[in-house]
Amino acid sequence: MNSAKDESLSLVLIGGSSGSFVIFEDIIKLLRNPVSFAVIFVLHRGKHSSSVLPDLFKTKTDVHMSEPHHLDPITANSIYFALPDYHLLVGKDHRFYYDHTEPDFFSRPSIDATFISAALSGIPVKAAMLFSGSSQDGAEGLKLLAEKGFPTYVQDPESAEFPRMPEEALLKYRQHNLLGEDKFYKTISDLLS
Amino acid sequence: MVVLEYNQLEELIIRIRDISGFDFSGYARPSLLRRAGRYLAKYDMDLGELLDHIEPGGSLVYELIQELTVNYSEMFRDPEYFKKVRTEVFGYLESYPALRFWVAGCASGEEAFSMAIMLKEAGLLSRSLIYATDLSNKVLTSAREGVFTLGNTRTFSESYMQAGGKHSLSDYYHVAYNQAIISPELRKNIVFSLHDLTGDGVFNEFQFISCRNVMIYFTLELRQQVFRLLYDSLSMLGFLCLGKRETLRYSGLEAHFKVIDSTLNIYQKIK
Repeated sequence: MNSAKDESLSLVLIGGSSGSFVIFEDIIKLLRNPVSFAVIFVLHRGKHSSSVLPDLFKTKTDVHMSEPHHLDPITANSIYFALPDYHLLVGKDHRFYYDHTEPDFFSRPSIDATFISAALSGIPVKAAMLFSGSSQDGAEGLKLLAEKGFPTYVQDPESAEFPRMPEEALLKYRQHNLLGEDKFYKTISDLLS
Repeated sequence: MVVLEYNQLEELIIRIRDISGFDFSGYARPSLLRRAGRYLAKYDMDLGELLDHIEPGGSLVYELIQELTVNYSEMFRDPEYFKKVRTEVFGYLESYPALRFWVAGCASGEEAFSMAIMLKEAGLLSRSLIYATDLSNKVLTSAREGVFTLGNTRTFSESYMQAGGKHSLSDYYHVAYNQAIISPELRKNIVFSLHDLTGDGVFNEFQFISCRNVMIYFTLELRQQVFRLLYDSLSMLGFLCLGKRETLRYSGLEAHFKVIDSTLNIYQKIK
């Protein structure tokens, strides 16, 4: 069972809330099979949200997308989405783990839960990004990723539909890279190449 | 927020085991890391302070175990699951003269109360016995009292209606001292008792077992062992219900069950 572990695996982590859905969609359009890393998206979703993100985005990319099951191996060339009502944790055995502890800042899935678990997993993080949203979630996780030496990016609060989330991240840690309106997708595209 | 590293967590696991005998080594580390970190943040201490404070003979270690293992439960959680059990499973159970249910990892009892209400409305409660077990005496004490905070009743009522409830949830509790108390009539068919899924064995044979959002806290290996225990505790053609997003994947027992509902994770033992 542990043969799932691929030593060359790296992660791209993307978190967002209100105002991030369209950005997620545009980022997914940038991804073309094959990609050398795994992309994990955490979008705040209501507990009873029944939309299946891989279905919603299926015309946008040819990279395999899924809402992973508990214990599924994390593999390169895959796009993953956190499910509603569970935190999605990254294990150092390169598997996903569900967690049903309390929400962070009223959110389950929480961005912090995924980001912190990824930062502790020992799996290299190629880039972590945090976009528009109206909560504090994600700030702690992004800070820890930066402190571990991974490249971290936040949307410029000036251009975010809901600035609170990127603002909180910058309040916790000022040195995150800013993704300004100018060349926004060009910069992200370069990060994902 | 306090962040623990994996090696620190191992240190904590060993310390807890040495002092209390309770062994977390079969618990999934990513989740345990999160829980331990939240515990330290809640009490504003670092790992060193915690290790200094948990001493043989003290009560802190047991409080810590309690907080690291506790599950949060609610009435009629995932209403569509209860609705499905009512429509797809109860019809089958009606043919039995006596029924035994097991709610494994029942926490403060809400799931067992929900099941009792559904059985009552289906006319099955009088011939049913619900065993509700947990490894924590503290939550079982609360479950036996049948008390939950009034603030939750509105959400619970909505879930009850969505689950296809036939009356009003308020028919099943009374209010005293700003708390809701489940009616004694429902409680008399529920036996709350101490049972650790990771250490204790089969104690009865059941037609129905629900073990929802419990197994996600175990390692792959321990999870397989617990699945085996549940399988061995089920009568042939008995039902096993898991959490909304949990599956039998990686259990080693996939071939022994028929899928009744693949999204709500209701399974029937077929061999």
